[in-house]
Amino acid sequence: MVRESSPCRSQKCRCLLLGLTVILIFGAVAVFAAVIFAGRRDPPAVLLQWKGRGSTDNLKEIMLGRCFTYTEMVNPELRKDCLKIWETFKNAFISKNPCNITEQDYQPLMELAAHPILCNKTLLWSKTNELAHKYTKVQGNFLTLEDTLLGYMADGLTWCGNPSSSEMNYQSCPHWRECANNPSSVYWKMASRAFAEAACGVVHVMLNGSISQPFGNSSIFGSVEVHHLNPKKVHLMKIWVMHNIGGQPSDSCSGSSIKELKSIIEGRNIAFSCEDDHRAVQLIQCVGNPEEPACRVCRT
Amino acid sequence: MESSDLALQGLMLFLLLFLMGQANVYTRAGEKRWSGEGTNPHLESIFLGRCNEYISVVNPELSKKNCSAIWEAFESVVHKDPCSVLPSDYDLFINLSRHSIPRDKSLFWENNYNLVTAYADNTRRLIPVTDMLYGRVGDLINWCRQENGSGFDYHSCPTVEDCENNAVDSFWKRASSQYAHDSSGVIHVMLNGSEPSGAYPVEGFFADYEIPNFQKDKVTQFEIWVMHEIGGPYLESCGEGSVKILERRLKNMEFKYECINDYRAAESTQQRFPSLFGGKWDPSLLFFLFLALASEIQL
Repeated sequence: MVRESSPCRSQKCRCLLLGLTVILIFGAVAVFAAVIFAGRRDPPAVLLQWKGRGSTDNLKEIMLGRCFTYTEMVNPELRKDCLKIWETFKNAFISKNPCNITEQDYQPLMELAAHPILCNKTLLWSKTNELAHKYTKVQGNFLTLEDTLLGYMADGLTWCGNPSSSEMNYQSCPHWRECANNPSSVYWKMASRAFAEAACGVVHVMLNGSISQPFGNSSIFGSVEVHHLNPKKVHLMKIWVMHNIGGQPSDSCSGSSIKELKSIIEGRNIAFSCEDDHRAVQLIQCVGNPEEPACRVCRT
Repeated sequence: MESSDLALQGLMLFLLLFLMGQANVYTRAGEKRWSGEGTNPHLESIFLGRCNEYISVVNPELSKKNCSAIWEAFESVVHKDPCSVLPSDYDLFINLSRHSIPRDKSLFWENNYNLVTAYADNTRRLIPVTDMLYGRVGDLINWCRQENGSGFDYHSCPTVEDCENNAVDSFWKRASSQYAHDSSGVIHVMLNGSEPSGAYPVEGFFADYEIPNFQKDKVTQFEIWVMHEIGGPYLESCGEGSVKILERRLKNMEFKYECINDYRAAESTQQRFPSLFGGKWDPSLLFFLFLALASEIQL
């Protein structure tokens, strides 16, 4: 009887051992296969190449810092979750083809970061980037898009993603000439539209009278902002046509380009006025050209 | 009678303890320990954002700087007691963030921060200390350690009224000294001739931490601009009051200097216009900027 039980046990042991070995072998094969196939299914993402500058280095740190600075120091009444804003911003373009960015991609960010603006403070600008911002920096009564949270965070920065990659493309990003629906262009288009829609009261506009067409529908001002001012909120648009100090004026309030703008605005039921070389702005230009006749303090 | 005495004493003791407890609560929750603003919320993010922006966007030649290390060096200073922070504690921070100043681009100032910042135009015209990496990260913010803790104190921070060796003042003393030491060529100084306490504060940052650190062999001369508010008051001008004290001090240190008033520049009557740089830095420019700054023109 003792002899009968031991062969049973050893047989059971052997079966168990055999079973375990088979399982181990299968397991190893499965893992091996998984590794091979996984490797095959996800090849390293190819970095697309574009003609424009790559994403700004340390973009996250810069944008987060700007968001906190804006919500704590520039506009302390604003309560925003900067970390959430950054994540929402990133999700708009990460892992996507940077030539296929849509407005829906940025819609969550627009809703998170939008904030109201006081009436009569809006300053729109076209082809007068440097002068407009020098002016608002000195004369704190006006706000450009870049003085709102969305504009403040992104001003002067570049960003784009890459399909099938969670990384930003720091080598290159599409230039607007390569494709219109790139991450930056769509961003600015949407932010500009929101900015125009939020305007109320009197809206000021700084245009460049030293170029051939101060107003045109190729600019964001002409194609987006003009058409998204709300006539129920905005009752007057005041244009300042600024000319290079000492240069030949190319166009002015009486020119055809401004007349075209006037008819569009009045057609939208918004009153219109225009001034050549608004003095307060000209004073900013005079900082660099004090000897010019237009800059003499005692003008007769 | 004894029991009533005891009861009375007990009651008084209770009342005393209660009042002390209340007082304690008030000093902790209601009153502020120090007289200055507390540490800025999200200080680290703001600091890192500014640092990264400076090295990536403003001055990409500095792209090799390590902002995390610079923050670590800065933050480690704040571990000290809030009234025991010395300028030399920031030595490592300065070592990591220091960079050269282009010749003739330095701008020193007293009592006219807004005008200086507007005129300097983010390093495009001139470079005041707040347009250097080490000045930019500390500009307009506040920080200090808790008195009885290791973290930042977000309620209040000491100013000079509380104690001299506080984190922020020591920071600017160290940064100003370095900035003056590294300056070369023409040294521009913008003073406020409408300031009642004097255009040249005899015990200010410029006087105590900048002038002593200029390198005689690197500085060619000083150009002092005494600016006035549009419409006055014209309390001090070149050669007057505290400005005269500054001029005398520079002369004693054997520095060359010129002093120019905005008023006279505008009138263009008596004042000479040393056209040192082809009139580029003519302070009548500043006059226009002042006009624009103070402009109340209805639009």
